Amino acid sequence: MYIISVYSENQVGLLSSISNIFTRRGINIESLTVFPSEFPGIHHFTFRAITTERAAQQVVGFIEKKVEVVRAFCFPDNATSAAEHGILEEYLKNRNQ
Amino acid sequence: MGQRLTGAEILLESLIAEGVDTVFGYPGGSIITVYDKMYHYTDRLRHILVRHEQGAIHAAQGYARATSRPGVVIVTSGPGATNVITGVADAMVDSTPVIVIAGQVGNAMLGTDAFQETDVVGMTGPIDKWTFQIRRPEDVAPAVAKAFHIASTGRPGPVVLDFTRDAQVGLADFEYHPCTHIRSYALPAPADEEAIEAAAKLIDEAERPFVVYGQGVVLSHAEEQLKAFLKKGGIPAASTMLGLSALPSDFPYYVGMAGMHGNVASNMMTQQCDVLIAVGMRFSDRVTGNPTTYAPKAKVIHIDVDRTEIGKIIPVEVGILGDAAEVLERLTARIRFSFHDEWAALARRYDRVEAEKVTAPETKPSDGPVNMGEVVSTVAELSERKAIIVTDVGQNQLMGARYSRFAQTRSFISSGGLGTMGFGLPAAIGAKTGAPDRQVCVFLGDGGIQMTIQEFGTIMQEHTAVKIILLNNNWLGNVRQWQELFYDKRYSQTQMLNPDYSLIAQAYGIRYRRVEQRSELEEAVREMLDAKEAFLLDVHVREEGMVYPMVPGGRRMDEILLNKDEWFVDGE
Repeated sequence: MYIISVYSENQVGLLSSISNIFTRRGINIESLTVFPSEFPGIHHFTFRAITTERAAQQVVGFIEKKVEVVRAFCFPDNATSAAEHGILEEYLKNRNQ
Repeated sequence: MGQRLTGAEILLESLIAEGVDTVFGYPGGSIITVYDKMYHYTDRLRHILVRHEQGAIHAAQGYARATSRPGVVIVTSGPGATNVITGVADAMVDSTPVIVIAGQVGNAMLGTDAFQETDVVGMTGPIDKWTFQIRRPEDVAPAVAKAFHIASTGRPGPVVLDFTRDAQVGLADFEYHPCTHIRSYALPAPADEEAIEAAAKLIDEAERPFVVYGQGVVLSHAEEQLKAFLKKGGIPAASTMLGLSALPSDFPYYVGMAGMHGNVASNMMTQQCDVLIAVGMRFSDRVTGNPTTYAPKAKVIHIDVDRTEIGKIIPVEVGILGDAAEVLERLTARIRFSFHDEWAALARRYDRVEAEKVTAPETKPSDGPVNMGEVVSTVAELSERKAIIVTDVGQNQLMGARYSRFAQTRSFISSGGLGTMGFGLPAAIGAKTGAPDRQVCVFLGDGGIQMTIQEFGTIMQEHTAVKIILLNNNWLGNVRQWQELFYDKRYSQTQMLNPDYSLIAQAYGIRYRRVEQRSELEEAVREMLDAKEAFLLDVHVREEGMVYPMVPGGRRMDEILLNKDEWFVDGE
């Protein structure tokens, strides 16, 4: 089981476009949550899916290719990461000029 | 504060602000406002009226590939939008910058199954680089600006704007600001120094280095950087199909095209090299055959602007994320001057075998019907390698790729990844529209030409002087070839009863000549190339024509069929 954690701009149609990345590769989404993140204007999606690490990483790459996606991460099982918040904070600081 | 305009006018003003002077399109109910305003813009914006929306998008693709500027398509909602879908998918996999503006019903009617309403955002999202529904007139200019930025930067691709009627007719202040920054969309950063260092070390230590480059070289305008890199490293190089023409065909380090129907030297050297440097290519299955047996002796260095391509198919020793021009320049500065003469000379040995077993019988036969390769090489020779060569898909494409010769970049336009039959004719119209001073020749089969043959109407109306070479064998030749080789000659649904193309050409006012004998070929090609207007050259070619060499699907790249009965054997 992998958790794929996605931070993105709030954009109509993005959820279906991201979930398509899973379905095209025959990966079932076991659970999904969407909520506003602590960063203004940025939504946080978390997907749980049964897949391999390689496939999870590829999915993350393709999700990050979506223009509105700020960053995506994947973790095995249900490990959580405080690191991603740090990475994102740093990224947004740079990108917001 | 800017002028107050309707969203439809803002669209047209924004396109002009982006430097667009030509659009390809087809009007309809949900885009009629834009066409109404366009009436007053004919001095600044040329609109090419196609005969089917698929023609518009393939023309825009041809335009973009010939000029390096994004192609623009304007169509209506519903069927107008769904008719461009094939081209959107094609442009995505072939990294072609196109911007599709599709009309959409009014905001209040969205989701009601209104007349000509369809879910454009939902349909195009998975197959394009960016989709956006414009619902308010004030969002038009920023959306167009973002569309151009996204379509043409990074790894280019198609963008779709779903333009609702409310946004078209509503008023807003117009001021245009090009987009240079999107918070969630990072432009390619300079490549990682450590990766460049590691790659340079591998290249310097290599005894049999080999480059396979793709369209990324063309897209990043890295042709000169590639030449400098190859010269300094003394490295032989092969092109993917979409990379063709990035290096001149007679460039000393160029060994030919890689892949299923590529040159023997390219594929054999891929299997023997000790370091493979992949530049702006994506290891398509048409290039790798069975990927687990691809380049088995090589440490792979992969340079690509798209992170997801690195390691996607072929595991890499060093991945360099970055723009090809920048990476090659820095890599060239780092590597030593090297010579690999003995290794590079292998190419000539393989070329001799291919010339004797494949090329000579295909292009210089002494009797029998005209061969496809013979037609292509005659066009290459008589056009002095200066033409933009466009192809459809199938044997015409493989022959076009194998036997065309190029002197300048952006001279080969074909549907690579999606393999879209019907692409050729409209793409040629787009290429000629974008590069009116160049000779544009398109090779088509009798199958593919009929998929978009309605675009003869566009040629007639716009006086587009494309040279159409129909390799007519009354078969869906590429499928027939597979049926002959792998399906026990069960020719299921591949034979075609064709119309009299002379009458079709006549109906559209297109000059026409039929060639049935070898003795007429050269003079007919000359007549076609000299013509100032569009020309259809209908060449009746050998019915059972085959494209060789061929690495059958899923094989190793050194398992090469030279003809029906003979496998290539790597003898000394």
